[in-house]
Amino acid sequence: MSFLAVESLTRRFGGLTAVNDISFSVERDEILSLIGPNGAGKSTVFKLIASFLRPTAGRVLLEGAVMSGRRPHEVARAGIVRTFQETTVFKEMTALQNVVVAHQLGLAATAFGAYLGTPAARADAREALESAAEILDYLGLGHIRDEKARNLPQGHLRALGIAIGLSARPRVLLLDEPFAGMNLEETDRAVAMVEGIRRRGITILLVEHDMRAVMRISDRIVVMNFGSRIAEGTPAEIRANPAVIEAYLGRDDETIGS
Amino acid sequence: MEQVIINGAILSANYALIALGITLIFGIMNVLNFAHGQLFMIGGLVVYWISAVVGLPYGVGVAAATLSVGLIGMAMERGLFARVMAEAGREENAMLLAVGTAFLLENAALYLFGEKQRGIPPMVQGVYRLGAAFLPANRLVVFLISVALVIAVLVFVHFTRTGRAMRALAQDRTATTLMGVDAGRISMLGFGLGAALAGIAGALLISVTGVNAGVGAAISTKAFIMIMIGGAGVIGGALLGALALGFAEAVGYALFPGSVTYLIIFVALIVFLLVRPQGIMGRPWG
Amino acid sequence: MARHLAAASAPELARAFDSRRGAFALLLLALLLYGLVPAVFAGRAYWLNVMTNAALLSFASLGVWVTFAIGRVNIGQGAFALIGGYTTALLATVLHWPFWLCLPVSAVVAGGVGFLIGWPLLRLRGIYFAMVTLSLTEATRLFFLNTIRDNGGGVLNIPRPPELATPLAFYLFAATLLLLGCAGVWRLANSRIGWVFRSMRENEELAMSIGIDITRYRILAFVICSAMGGVTGGCFALLQQNIYPATYTIADSINFLLYCFLGGLEFVLGPIVGAFGLVLTFELLRSIQEFQALLYGVLMIVVMLFLPNGLLSLGAVLRRGRGGGR
Repeated sequence: MSFLAVESLTRRFGGLTAVNDISFSVERDEILSLIGPNGAGKSTVFKLIASFLRPTAGRVLLEGAVMSGRRPHEVARAGIVRTFQETTVFKEMTALQNVVVAHQLGLAATAFGAYLGTPAARADAREALESAAEILDYLGLGHIRDEKARNLPQGHLRALGIAIGLSARPRVLLLDEPFAGMNLEETDRAVAMVEGIRRRGITILLVEHDMRAVMRISDRIVVMNFGSRIAEGTPAEIRANPAVIEAYLGRDDETIGS
Repeated sequence: MEQVIINGAILSANYALIALGITLIFGIMNVLNFAHGQLFMIGGLVVYWISAVVGLPYGVGVAAATLSVGLIGMAMERGLFARVMAEAGREENAMLLAVGTAFLLENAALYLFGEKQRGIPPMVQGVYRLGAAFLPANRLVVFLISVALVIAVLVFVHFTRTGRAMRALAQDRTATTLMGVDAGRISMLGFGLGAALAGIAGALLISVTGVNAGVGAAISTKAFIMIMIGGAGVIGGALLGALALGFAEAVGYALFPGSVTYLIIFVALIVFLLVRPQGIMGRPWG
Repeated sequence: MARHLAAASAPELARAFDSRRGAFALLLLALLLYGLVPAVFAGRAYWLNVMTNAALLSFASLGVWVTFAIGRVNIGQGAFALIGGYTTALLATVLHWPFWLCLPVSAVVAGGVGFLIGWPLLRLRGIYFAMVTLSLTEATRLFFLNTIRDNGGGVLNIPRPPELATPLAFYLFAATLLLLGCAGVWRLANSRIGWVFRSMRENEELAMSIGIDITRYRILAFVICSAMGGVTGGCFALLQQNIYPATYTIADSINFLLYCFLGGLEFVLGPIVGAFGLVLTFELLRSIQEFQALLYGVLMIVVMLFLPNGLLSLGAVLRRGRGGGR
């Protein structure tokens, strides 16, 4: 049984089929990348897996349990946590507050207990604070923990977005374009960070445009075009696949990394 | 039956002016103008003052009402909303500022005009008969002017440079600004136009129903109902909302005692929004 | 700027786990309500009545503040005040229940209606939620106008328990209610629930993605708000000994918002400062008669323009000014 299985996922918006009969599976501790030209339907697949959208047909299973049709927070609790494209964080909170808030899932005390300030709730608060500090340090954000998120530069915001995702105790982390807009050096650092997250025992599924990074980091790659899966394989296989080359042909903004 | 259709059409035409105005302001500024009903009320009272107190012709009154309410709208945009929008803050601030403005305008009107219900005699006398229904000539005139104005606004926003800039601004503010449109000027004009439409609506209705300083909240509520039905910020939606509300009122008043009609309208509206939260033509969020 | 923020927000987090500051503010409020007000206004029934009004209005606004905390502009508090008011009025006059029983039932009925209506309505956001709750206020008024046949929909001669017969007694009751409400909401805002509310206010999608059941917390906030509105309605029904459909209109629902806003949306004390500030200002302007309402409106706009984060942000603004501007 696959760890995360995507079975014949289809999503139509009105007359438009954004995702057409997509199937693939992700094994435990794997890094699987979903690539494809703009508008190929990658982000829609992401939203479907995280249950932010309901599939028109097909389903998503985590360790055999059906996730599709459950509400997003339930899926997050089950262990599938998504991050967002660009820089979606709680802008009016500090970096530390962002990450502390995101620790909701690991807490022992009930909300009512937290209201009353029971010992369990105090322990929760202490643990969340420690864990948050650890995650921030790990992602190299320790020195800006007390900055308001709105004042942080783009690169830090993206790392903070990932820190929020990590705080929700994911078993599968869905990273939405974690390398977009980074220069070579920043990408190198981010790639190392993602590999580090995998070493923490977290399975990673990522959507990405930056081919160079994808080729380096992925165990396997699934390629989409016009809503359908056109290829699947190791980076070497994908690089040599004629269908993939054709899908990317004539596009100036994306080149297949070598 | 004919009477219901006639009443519904007349109400719809007038309401369309109100709904167009508030949706224009919402589209361009992303502000829900709580003061819209107060602008309507001021339009009506200015006409009352010019024609009943000063004694000038009705046409002069309408022109003065349009102009003065339009100017109030532009001043609101310049002095209040442009400033608040420029500062980052909580989204609610602009809405609450509009609430404060409504309060101020209402109190100013109370001070200047008192709280009495004001009306002016019909501009034209006579009643037409259409089958079993009666159509007072005055209402026909109000209806025709309203329809003409609605058409004029539609022509303006579709075929003039300024009007198109307003629609573009409503669609995508950043992109439009990048294309070299002076967003500040267009916002001010858009707010002014939206306000002037409310002013004209008041100026026209004062000869039919009369106006008092406290009528603003009720008119704003009607404006909100219309844009909730049609979808906020969409011109076609505003017209649909006006038709729906105008005819719902006409039918309701024919069948039920006064206050039951609106109770039914509100309940229907709430149920409708559960099915279609963004209104008939509105853009869904997110 | 950066250094300033770093300095300001470290204690901000600490505050979430430290109750001393809040306890101090509550103590101060208690001293003002129990000490200063009775001392100044003792024996002056009119002013005690004004203060009672302000305390009850603050209590309802605190509820509205809780819905602000989840990022919803709620113009429906008048509806819940009507529901609570009529519950108390009808139970007290028709079934002759004692007030102390009517009041909690009013809270439960208003909270229950909030629960049923909130479930679907809270899916709406932004101006749609504002507009639909505004409609709710008007719909509720029309509902009572059309269902209660006598006295134009009013319920008259609501009996007052002997222990609340004097203006001072009623004031002390209202002050106690307000203190309890304030302590409860303060605790809420500073517990984990408050942080969950805050995350929902900033970004509901992100909140969902980290496992927060936003539907449940939205309902929680709305039910708390509605129940507080219901209690306020019940108290006012008793204070005025009558209730009419027009006792709470859209204007009242809007006033609750304005109290929160003018006091400061970032502060639990905001609605209290806003309500007392506005009610007192209005009373003090009474001496200039015809200009009263006009000047009141002008003052309100001036505060909104120059203190967009409310009266309580005045301290922060002054501090920043001394520090050499932003």
